[in-house]
Amino acid sequence: MFILNPQSGTPIYRQLIDQVRRMVASGQLAAGTALPSVRELAVEHAVNPMTISKAYSLLETEGVLERQRGKPMTVAVQDRAQVPRTQRLQQLGTQIDHLVLSARQLELTPEDLAKAIRKKWSEE
Amino acid sequence: MNDPYVSVKGLAKSFGEKRVLAGIDATVRAGDVVGLLGLNGAGKTTLLEILLGLSPPSAGSALLFGNPAVAATATAKARIGFVPQNDELIGLFTGNQYLDLIATFYPDWDARFAEKLVAEWGIEARKIILGYSVGQRQKLSIIAALAHKPDLLVLDEPVASLDPLARRQFLQQIVEAATDERRAVVFSSHIVSDVERLANVIWVLKQGQLLWQGDLDTLKESVIRVHTRADAAPTVRARLRRVVAERSVDLSGHKLVALRAPDEDWSDLEQQLGAGAQIERLGLEDIFVELHS
Repeated sequence: MFILNPQSGTPIYRQLIDQVRRMVASGQLAAGTALPSVRELAVEHAVNPMTISKAYSLLETEGVLERQRGKPMTVAVQDRAQVPRTQRLQQLGTQIDHLVLSARQLELTPEDLAKAIRKKWSEE
Repeated sequence: MNDPYVSVKGLAKSFGEKRVLAGIDATVRAGDVVGLLGLNGAGKTTLLEILLGLSPPSAGSALLFGNPAVAATATAKARIGFVPQNDELIGLFTGNQYLDLIATFYPDWDARFAEKLVAEWGIEARKIILGYSVGQRQKLSIIAALAHKPDLLVLDEPVASLDPLARRQFLQQIVEAATDERRAVVFSSHIVSDVERLANVIWVLKQGQLLWQGDLDTLKESVIRVHTRADAAPTVRARLRRVVAERSVDLSGHKLVALRAPDEDWSDLEQQLGAGAQIERLGLEDIFVELHS
């Protein structure tokens, strides 16, 4: 369900937060969907359970997930209009970092990048 | 907050003239999984032995469940599981006989759990231990340390002889143990990727001193490698110096490594360093190497 890379410079809880946010934003995870338990996810990926519960708690604080006593963590109903634009932009997070890094290495300008993004955007 | 399971203050250890550990302050609390990293000879085994009360400190204090570790009571010892670097198995016993013997020491021994692991890990428990491979011996030692569900599990290089599949099974067992918030794990390993999966707290021991200790996520968020082109290097270095107060390590001309102080805000570092800099976030292995360069 999630792709976690423990050897990345991005901490595991950050990777999980980014992926859940994106999947919720894109509708891949619909409101009411139950997420795997902390234990299931930790054992499956052989990672520390605290890093998973840290991600879940932060996502709960953000309102992306909700917890009901004795039940699994579920995706909360999202009111996308109420999520500020800046916060939605932030959800692209490390993807932008990677893109900019690659563009710089190829000695492209921000304008080149913007043009390419616009072109791709209008295709879809 | 509850008392820590392990608490050491100003700990030092010397063997004759040779100083092995110095100035160590550290705690282990319920729920912690501590990964102990260090080069060979850094003092990892000595530190673990002192935490467990197997060896007295030369100076400072080492408390185990609130009492001096060397004077640990039988009750305190029953709350510990230890996998030493060199196992203490009895060669002429079969695996089953050995586990039966260990079981008699612990009131909370879970025989079904031990049997389950013996089967899952493919241990030939009816054969005598002398005929075991190094990997089999290591697995048996781990089961002997796990089956009484200790509050504090200490493992010294537990996976050195295990193949990747056996290591993964072992890691999953430790994850299972760590889901119980009353339990704590301290383990040393040269296999940094295992430490990176399992630990939420990292101790880096260098020449007998704790070079870094704290949360793994914080560590990853506190170390960056900055790459610059040769012509931009002086500017980037100067800007980095302004943002990063201390312990910024200068390496070669266009590779800079910075370690963040607790109060520094790095949220807009990219902007502050300007276009000449590329920031790379590091995995634990790279961080470990940089801390030793």
